[in-house]
Amino acid sequence: MSAILKTEKLRVEFSSREFRQATKVALTGLDLEVQAGEVFGFLGPNGAGKTTTMNVLLGFVPPTSGAAYLFGIDVRQPIARQRIGYLPEMTYYYKFLTAEELLRFYAKIFSLPRAETDKRIDQLLKLVELEHARKRPIKSYSKGMQQRVGLAQALINNPDLLILDEPTSGLDPLGRMKVREIIQRLKNEGKTVFFSSHELGEVETVCDRVAIIHQGDLKAVGRVNEITGQHASLEKAFLDIIGFQTSTTP
Amino acid sequence: MKNIIAVAGIVIKELYRRKDFYVLFILTVLVCLIMASVNIFNDKQIVRYLKELCLLLIWVSSLVIAITTTARQIPAEREQRTLLPLLAKPLTRTQLIFGKFLGCWLACGLVLLCFYIFFGALAASREHAWPLLNYFQAAFLHWIVLGVVVALALLGSLVFAAPSSNSTICFVIVATILTVGRYLDAVALAQPEPFRSLIYAFYFAVPHLEIPFEMRNLIVHDWPLIGWNFIALDALYLLAYATAFLVAACLVFRRKPVN
Amino acid sequence: MTLPRTFFLLLLALLVFCFGLAANLQPRFQALESRHHQSNAFFSLLLGDSSKMFANSFYVKADEYYHSGYYPTIFDNNSAFKTPHVAEDTGAVNSKNSGEETSFMGAPRDWLDAFGRHFIPNRHTHLDEGGANDDLSTSDNVREILPWLKLSAKLDPDNVTTYTVTAYWLRIRMHKDKEAEQVLREGLRNNPQSCEILFELGRLYDESYHDTGRARNVWELAVRYWLRLPPEEQQDNKLIFEQITTHLGQLEDKAGNFSQALNWYQAAQKVSLTPNDVQKLIDGVQKEMAGASSAPKGIN
Repeated sequence: MSAILKTEKLRVEFSSREFRQATKVALTGLDLEVQAGEVFGFLGPNGAGKTTTMNVLLGFVPPTSGAAYLFGIDVRQPIARQRIGYLPEMTYYYKFLTAEELLRFYAKIFSLPRAETDKRIDQLLKLVELEHARKRPIKSYSKGMQQRVGLAQALINNPDLLILDEPTSGLDPLGRMKVREIIQRLKNEGKTVFFSSHELGEVETVCDRVAIIHQGDLKAVGRVNEITGQHASLEKAFLDIIGFQTSTTP
Repeated sequence: MKNIIAVAGIVIKELYRRKDFYVLFILTVLVCLIMASVNIFNDKQIVRYLKELCLLLIWVSSLVIAITTTARQIPAEREQRTLLPLLAKPLTRTQLIFGKFLGCWLACGLVLLCFYIFFGALAASREHAWPLLNYFQAAFLHWIVLGVVVALALLGSLVFAAPSSNSTICFVIVATILTVGRYLDAVALAQPEPFRSLIYAFYFAVPHLEIPFEMRNLIVHDWPLIGWNFIALDALYLLAYATAFLVAACLVFRRKPVN
Repeated sequence: MTLPRTFFLLLLALLVFCFGLAANLQPRFQALESRHHQSNAFFSLLLGDSSKMFANSFYVKADEYYHSGYYPTIFDNNSAFKTPHVAEDTGAVNSKNSGEETSFMGAPRDWLDAFGRHFIPNRHTHLDEGGANDDLSTSDNVREILPWLKLSAKLDPDNVTTYTVTAYWLRIRMHKDKEAEQVLREGLRNNPQSCEILFELGRLYDESYHDTGRARNVWELAVRYWLRLPPEEQQDNKLIFEQITTHLGQLEDKAGNFSQALNWYQAAQKVSLTPNDVQKLIDGVQKEMAGASSAPKGIN
């Protein structure tokens, strides 16, 4: 099975603007593969390099060395992003647009025909439960509603690969449940989902495979039960892998 | 091209949903109508002072709209993080820059259309004449000037950190060119070397935006039409500068981190 | 509740205090205001002494409009525009213009300058002679200079020339005699002893209203004011005296008062820069006097 998403010895360095400050290495030769149809969790503490990895995959940041591919195409080519959907961590959209206008705008970028655009917009707004607010400007939306609009725009082109950066961040339990349902539905449709999250409980529930990254280094990758191993939970396994010493009560 | 047009459409939507244009338009209309209500020796046909005032207000308002609208495009996208989901689509940075430019420029064109229609109506109410071709020449070149200003502000938005500093610098540059651009060569001739050569080099390097600006006198005083070949040449000259600024903006944006 | 009552009592006390203060200050303010120049208090208050600078620039603006925008800047040769033509053409001012007014821009300095000249007014025209389109039927467009002259007068009410120039154009070109009279009367209110304004007013009465009696009165008043001027000022204002006395002479000549006309012409000749021209007028009157005295007496 060919990898939908692949990185080869991906290294990213950021040179500091401060005088005499060392270059910061965000990723140290990351090798990662995500197969078609799987839900892949990308885990790590803050500053581990998760967002940097996503930024490289999305073409925001060029790699210092190594390569990254989406559907076999180098990520530096815009066409590599034709079949992906992306939900950023913090979702802000054009406040003066309505949800419908925003989706229509993104649909145009994907060159979707008008009839298909109309159909997709209706479907997606129903999926994310924003039909009642489709004509309202986004500035009047709550955080949860904005997150849902973000999810809708990530799905506008019916992507084969979804890249989600902390999709449940800031959501209430109901919202988180809905996001999990959507991810499960996408998986059932054969889509590939690649997402980062701090909610390890959700990751355990939803993901087929996970990768754990720490200080730019890939520490572990495999099925959830393989990673969990002898540990009681994924959380304990995660803490152990990144080298965090827990205080144990006898 | 469709990506560029899609981005441009968003910019135009933003313009007519913000209050800037309406405020400036209403201010212009109010000031002109107040000045028109002044009784000048019981003569209802005096119109040129009104035309001059109206055209000056149109120029000031259009420059304010062009610079402030453009200066906030990329910084606002960065600040509001709308840039990330946008560039995650199959949209190149070059397309984004051109889309923003086209959107701002077309938006300025719509603004100018509204202003010049009002101007024509105001002038016709007293002159009872519609020299449409003259107005078209002035409005067309005015729009081209705004294209250069938009391109300059777009480049500035990528170079300067804050939209306010970019706006200020753009205003200063444009105002300086409009007021003294035509006379830099006279100033140069009066200087000793090496200042003469420096000022002369500067004189030839800057885009002469004052050429269409000074066309106002031709409109105010009912001069005949300018030859269309000169209009075309001036448009090409200014568009060359706009293109240069845009290319520079694309090159700068390519190297800028997105977040 | 005590708090709201206290609040309202305080408010009332404040209102009473403010009213009392205003009533106390009002007479002092009125006394202060009456010492100021009454006309155009708003602009004087707003701009101060710089109002004269603005007035001058608007006066020049009227001349620029007179030339349909074809006007020198500080970078051009403006020797032919030292005295605005809009004033020079009235004959009321001594012209300081020299040089060629049609070519102040000179030859183009470079190709950019040459190209730019297609986009600005580049020909010398006068509004009352057809304007930019050389269309004599539009000579009434000289009205366009009036707003700037009006504004200039408002900003600098002490500048007599503005009133006389405005009145000239209103009367001669626009045939607006009433408006011209209003302008001159306003000028007189601001400059009560102005010979120039009185002269122009007299011309209005004589040429437009054909009221020779009022014209005579006004011109004679102007002469009296001129005679009261110190000698240095009389030296500087010979032109206006010559104009007034010449017109008085012509008026008396037409009325048949030849001796009076002769007196006026002789007074004019004393200050005239062209005494020979005045001499011709004197000779004309003397001939008429001789003709009148040799005419047969009327039959009783």
